[in-house]
Amino acid sequence: MSLKGKLALVTGSGRGIGRATALKLASQGADVIVNFFRRRDAAEQTAKDIEALGVKAEVIRANVGDPAKLNEMFDMISDHFGYLDILINNAASGVGRSVMDVDVKAWDWTMNINARAFLLCAQRAARLMGGRGGKIVGISSLGSSFVLPTYAVVGVSKAALEALTRYLAIELAHEGICVNSVAASAVETEALKFYIKQGMISDTRQATPAGRMVIPEDVAKVVAFLCSEEALMIRGQTIIVDGGTSIAPFVIPEGDQQ
Amino acid sequence: MSVEEQVKEIVAKIVHVDKNLMTRESTFKDMKADSLDMVQALVAVEDRFDIEIPDEEAQKFQNFGDFISYVESRIAEKEKA
Ligand SMILES: NC(=O)c1ccc[n+]([C@@H]2O[C@H](COP(=O)([O-])OP(=O)(O)OC[C@H]3O[C@@H](n4cnc5c(N)ncnc54)[C@H](OP(=O)(O)O)[C@@H]3O)[C@@H](O)[C@H]2O)c1
Repeated sequence: MSLKGKLALVTGSGRGIGRATALKLASQGADVIVNFFRRRDAAEQTAKDIEALGVKAEVIRANVGDPAKLNEMFDMISDHFGYLDILINNAASGVGRSVMDVDVKAWDWTMNINARAFLLCAQRAARLMGGRGGKIVGISSLGSSFVLPTYAVVGVSKAALEALTRYLAIELAHEGICVNSVAASAVETEALKFYIKQGMISDTRQATPAGRMVIPEDVAKVVAFLCSEEALMIRGQTIIVDGGTSIAPFVIPEGDQQ
Repeated sequence: MSVEEQVKEIVAKIVHVDKNLMTRESTFKDMKADSLDMVQALVAVEDRFDIEIPDEEAQKFQNFGDFISYVESRIAEKEKA
C-alpha cells in the first residue's frame, strides 16, 4: 500500500497513537504535517523521525479546541501546499471526572477538542481534498459505547465523534472522500500509564484475550489500512481495535483461572 | 498595566481568586487550581502576549514569580526579533 505523493495531517502527533500513525503513514510514502499543542519537543522529534524515512514533515502548533487556531493551521496548509489527501483526527484531551462532577468548563474543553474539532477539521480538510479521493479517520475509544470510570465527558465526546463519522461518510461520499474511525481499548501510552497510576482504570495487560495490550502501532496499522484503496467500500464505520476485550467481558484469562 | 499585573488578572479570572491575594510566591496549588485551570491559564497568557510556553518549560515553574519571569523573557525575545 503506497501513499507516495500524498499529504497527511495527523492532529496531536507528537506523542502516542498520533505519533505512531504519523510514522506509519510516512513509512508508506506520505508527507506528514505534525500538529501539536503543548509539547513542541515531542512534535519536532516526530518530524525528525518522519524525515529520516525520506519524506517531508512539517510541524504546526495549534490548539484544535480553538477554532481561530484551527483555521490558522488550515490557512497555513492551504497556502503552503494547497491540497490535502489524509486527515487523521487524533488529538484529544479530557478531564477525568465522574458524571456528577462534570462542570461546564470541563464539558466545553473536552467537547471542543475531541468532538467540535473533528467537525471543523473535516470541513476544512474536505475543501482541500477536492477531486483527490481523500481519506478521513477519527480516533475514538471504547468509552463511546461502554462505561469507564471517570470517563463520562470523554466517552460522550467520542460518541459524538463516531456519530459524526457516519454523517461525514455519507455527506462527503459524493466528493469521493472516505470517512471512518478506529476505536481503541486501553492502549499502552503515557496517557494510559497516568490513568493506571491514578487508579482510574485497572491494569488490563493480562485480561486481553489476544494475550497482550494494544500498542499504538496496532492502531496505526488499522488507520493506515483505512487510508488505503483496499478499504474503499468501508464507509462511516468505527473499527474496534482491542484484542478482543470488549466482546469477552465474562472470559477469564487462562493464566488467572483457578 | 505591567506584564505581572496582566498575568495576575488573567490567572485570577480563570482560577476564580482575588488577584490582590496573588504574589510572586503564590503557586497554582495555593490557588486550588486543577490541571485544567492551569492549561487554560497558560493558553490565555500565550494568546494575550502571542508567545509560546511549552509544557517542558511550564513544568519548571515553582511559583507565579517564575511564570511571570518566563513570560517577560519571551516577550523581550519577541521584541528583539
Ligand atoms: N491511550 C489510550 O489508552 C487510548 C485508548 C483509546 C483511544 N485513545 C485515543 O487515541 C488518541 C490519542 O491518544 P494518546 O493516548 O496517544 O494520547 P496522548 O499520548 O495523551 O497524546 C495526545 C496528543 O494529542 C495532542 N493534543 C491534546 N490536546 C490537543 C489540542 N487541543 N490541540 C492539538 N493537539 C492536542 C497532544 O499534543 P501535545 O503533545 O502537544 O500535548 C498529543 O500529541 C486520542 O483521541 C485518544 O482519545 C487513546
